Amino acid sequence: MFKDLNPILHSQLRLAVVSLLISVKEAEFTYLREKTDATAGNLSVQINKLKEAGYIDVTKTFKDNYPQTVCKITPEGIKAFEEYVRDLQSYLNIKK
Amino acid sequence: MEQEKEFTSQESLALITKMITRARRDYLGTGLSALLWGSVITFCSLVAFATAYFKWSPALNAVWLLTIVAAIVQGFIAVREAKARRHKPYDQDLMGGIWIAFAIAVFMLSFIFNLYPSNGEPAIYLGLYGVPTFATGYARRFRPMVIGGIICWILALISLRIGYPYTLLCITAGAVSAWFIPGLIIRKRYLKAKQQHV
Repeated sequence: MFKDLNPILHSQLRLAVVSLLISVKEAEFTYLREKTDATAGNLSVQINKLKEAGYIDVTKTFKDNYPQTVCKITPEGIKAFEEYVRDLQSYLNIKK
Repeated sequence: MEQEKEFTSQESLALITKMITRARRDYLGTGLSALLWGSVITFCSLVAFATAYFKWSPALNAVWLLTIVAAIVQGFIAVREAKARRHKPYDQDLMGGIWIAFAIAVFMLSFIFNLYPSNGEPAIYLGLYGVPTFATGYARRFRPMVIGGIICWILALISLRIGYPYTLLCITAGAVSAWFIPGLIIRKRYLKAKQQHV
């Protein structure tokens, strides 16, 4: 089991979202949905969890009269992601 | 993708890699701009070469005015791509700035060389072509553009050793290697990714 790994990030969809957001400056909800192959409802729930943890910023605006949700990783999110990857690597090394 | 599925550390790393790769695929865009400029400059330089070589009417040199039409088309492509873009890479503004500065420099030089013709025109243009091409390829880890930029610089040196109108063929080769071929590769990748919805 991965008790030492950050439980917020150690979830498939949340980790996928953070991995995408770490690669870009910001991304729309539809972009994240397409890249993760997740359903809108599920993605929305996981984005809220990441937001509550302070790992991402979510801005709701309008684009061409349509509502638009833009997500951006926070410095806290970057730090948590880096720690998660470090923990993962050390876990894999120990396992080897 | 399931909500809270248990997964191993290997699967975690694989997922991170997969997502970063998916995001990176979009860095290079649709390839339309590179294809547009690769085609237009190739066509114009070949027509200009044929005009000089076969001693056709010098009026055919007006073919270079096509670059103004291409600039307008480029504007439409840029607006359409900006509207369709659903993510913003970290270096988007930087890359945009480099290409806008390049476009301004090329049009300014065209104006200057029109007033004060110079023997080294193709070398200067090719030297300039190499800058944003190499920078884009280097920043976005896209080797065809890195190679294209280097080829432009080599062609710039070659063009100093050969006479007119053969220097125009250096421009053709530069446009093909810097933009047309990378544009085809980007376009192919873009369409493939679009087909896969990733």
